[in-house]
Amino acid sequence: MIYVDKLRKEFKKTIKDPGLKGSIKSLFKPKSEKVVAVSDISFEVPEGEILGFIGPNGAGKSTVIKMLTGILTPTSGTCTINGKNPTENRKSYVKEIGVVFGQRTQLWWDLPLRETYGVLKEIYEVPEDSYKKRMAFLNEVLELDSFITSPVRTLSLGQRMRADIAASLLHSPKVLFLDEPTIGLDVVVKDNIRKAIEYINRQEKTTVILTTHDLADIELLANRIVMIDKGSNVFDGTIGELKTKYGQIRELCFETDSPNAAQALGYEKHFGFGEDELSLEAEGKTVKVRFNSSVVPVSDMLSYTLDKINVSDISVKDADIEEIIRRLYKQGVE
Amino acid sequence: MKKIKRMFKIHRIFMAQEFKRMMEYKGDFIVGIIGFLLIQLSNLLFLWIIFSQIPNLMGWSMNEVIFIYGFSLIPKGIDHFFFDNLWAIGHFIVRKGDFDKYLTRPVNTLFHVLVEKIQIDAFGEMLTGIALVCVTAPSLGASLSVFRILIMLAIIPFITLIYTGIKTITASIAFWTKRSGSIIYVFYMFNDFAKYPATIYNRFVQNIITYIIPFALTSYYPALFILKGENPLFNLGMPVLASFVLMGAGIIVWHKGTRAYESAGS
Amino acid sequence: MMKRKLKIYLPFVNAGIQEVATYRVNWIFFMLGNAIACFVSYFIWAAVYSSGGEESMNGFTMPQMVVYIVLMFLTSTIIASDGAYVVGEEIRDGTIATRLIKPVSYNATFLFQELGNKLPTEIAIAVPMIIVVEIARTVMSGEVQFNALNLLLYILSCVAAYLINFYFNICFGFLAFVIKYLWGANMMKNCIIGFLSGTVIPLSFLPDALERVFLFLPFASLNYTPVMIYMGKYSGAELCYYLGLQVFWVLFFFGLSKGLWKASVKRLTVQGG
Repeated sequence: MIYVDKLRKEFKKTIKDPGLKGSIKSLFKPKSEKVVAVSDISFEVPEGEILGFIGPNGAGKSTVIKMLTGILTPTSGTCTINGKNPTENRKSYVKEIGVVFGQRTQLWWDLPLRETYGVLKEIYEVPEDSYKKRMAFLNEVLELDSFITSPVRTLSLGQRMRADIAASLLHSPKVLFLDEPTIGLDVVVKDNIRKAIEYINRQEKTTVILTTHDLADIELLANRIVMIDKGSNVFDGTIGELKTKYGQIRELCFETDSPNAAQALGYEKHFGFGEDELSLEAEGKTVKVRFNSSVVPVSDMLSYTLDKINVSDISVKDADIEEIIRRLYKQGVE
Repeated sequence: MKKIKRMFKIHRIFMAQEFKRMMEYKGDFIVGIIGFLLIQLSNLLFLWIIFSQIPNLMGWSMNEVIFIYGFSLIPKGIDHFFFDNLWAIGHFIVRKGDFDKYLTRPVNTLFHVLVEKIQIDAFGEMLTGIALVCVTAPSLGASLSVFRILIMLAIIPFITLIYTGIKTITASIAFWTKRSGSIIYVFYMFNDFAKYPATIYNRFVQNIITYIIPFALTSYYPALFILKGENPLFNLGMPVLASFVLMGAGIIVWHKGTRAYESAGS
Repeated sequence: MMKRKLKIYLPFVNAGIQEVATYRVNWIFFMLGNAIACFVSYFIWAAVYSSGGEESMNGFTMPQMVVYIVLMFLTSTIIASDGAYVVGEEIRDGTIATRLIKPVSYNATFLFQELGNKLPTEIAIAVPMIIVVEIARTVMSGEVQFNALNLLLYILSCVAAYLINFYFNICFGFLAFVIKYLWGANMMKNCIIGFLSGTVIPLSFLPDALERVFLFLPFASLNYTPVMIYMGKYSGAELCYYLGLQVFWVLFFFGLSKGLWKASVKRLTVQGG
């Protein structure tokens, strides 16, 4: 369905020394350097999958999405989607995809929302009867009815996002690209949007590529994750695989009356944890210990703790995905 | 054929949206039209004051000068009315990354940009132009045959393309430099040379506005034929040739530019 | 007190300088565009003088007309102000509300930011242009015409003209409360000012009655007065009258802008931003 092979994008960036002097200098003698935004990324996405595309700020996510949607021309490498090359067969290619950029809108700002769909119908050459059916369907899934006659500029952010997603789905695309679809939305709206995406994916086998900073989006929606950092692929697999590969972190949580329990325990000394393998947090009576269970088995940690101090209400949890990814972003991947 | 039909349909739909938008801001658009009318009025007032002091301007009568001036406003106004969105490309659409939208739609990007907006202010220009041509033409006498008037109407679309072509080329520069509004502005100001008969300029300027940035082809030369029947091969042929060259170059530069487009944000 | 007050605004001057440095290339092109308009003016006047056959028209010889065109260009650049656009935009997108909570004067922040924006470029174009004008004048007339006093008075008059323009534009920007997009209105304004301030044609070319009315209006105080002073056309009581008129218009628009600002604060607080 989607094949990305050694995709690369370089930008030229002019360098300016700081201050007034620098500005004037760069006017006469512009200096520029090559910046590699995406370097040789490869991955595949089968039909009907929801792929979570994640990475820290500036990792190159948007650049990849923009190459896949035909907005940017790759410096080298290829991507083939439905057998088409986004930049070479642009016009026929974009008929098969839908794109939503959370930070921008493609709706006609000054006009009632309904008008936008009328124009898009013509642009995408959607026949009248399938347009009617499609609008009814989108209405039902995204609940557009209450604001479809309002001018777009008067919509709330959540309404606008729903309207934008509907606009991207009007021509029944086979692939849907969502760049930060839940950015700036409140919990309830986020939830609605996630449900709608999931529903459309299940109903129509639409392949979805999703970038987001909200890892709940990923956990609830994505079958698979591709993570990139500094322009390169660092992880490609399911959430389960991510957890088993990097997620040997467990969280031991207990309450204790012993003062200075943390120091008294002395985990590092006893077990010989490395620098990233243990973290400890104490707040009042509650103590949270995160540790790498591949270094020390959970049972050893538990019995050692119970031996050393008096505890009540003890529990052990799997680290959540957010914790894993936070650690990955922080340390970078080997 | 089917393709052309589709283009017309899309054009019609965008126009309809634009008129709806205008209805939302009626007052603003009326103010805009009046603004452009006033600019023309101030230019006319200038000519009128000047001609009250001199018998003719280097052999050109007031009516002839006003005819040339009025004629230059018609294609300029048409370009301005239909294709003004190119300004926005040079000023902010590319810089802010809003050009992304056009690239994700199954329509030729240049066509989409050109037809997406109309600039109602340009009515002020077009109306003045048409009025001036109509008012001055009768007094310019018997020489103005029906044939020449038909020629005049026929050449207007080509002249419009000279404007659109130049604007497309200058707007496209933004794909490499992020913004080119100021470059479009320079060319727009250059267009001032087209207001008057080219003979008032020195050789050097005449050559520039005939062969390099050919704004003299948009009014003076066609007017020479319409008013005096002089040298149709050059006076009409050159504008037509220039319209093909400039619009063709515009399309090429535009499509090279969209490949160099870097979007915005990370 | 004054010094402390000015210190608050120093960062705005600095920000303005930085801004213009960043957009220098654009600025050069805009100047180039405006210079082209001057060339067109030059050619049309050359044609007029060669067709008219008279050496002097309405008090201007052709060499004087050239000086007039160049000085008009210089003066327009010096006194240019973006206030209408900036205020209009802030009203349109609502950021004007955030100005309410800042402990500095709304108008003054603009003034200082714009000064920072303009000062370096003004000096950069004014000095060479004045030198060129003086050399050209001397060559064309065969005698030195430079008058230091006139130059000094011109600079003073330009300061007044800039302040008139600045406060007038601020006032104009408040129109955005009524009109959504100021573009059309702005164009109308520029066009009217272009004519009334003598940029299009010297006011002495107009019919007498019209000239007298225009001379009193604030717009003649913008470009026409400084240029006429530089060219030595005003002296004695006349000079004092026109300078006094400029001061009057500065005060008038300063007061008006204050009033409009107060009115809009009221409006904003009533509407809740």
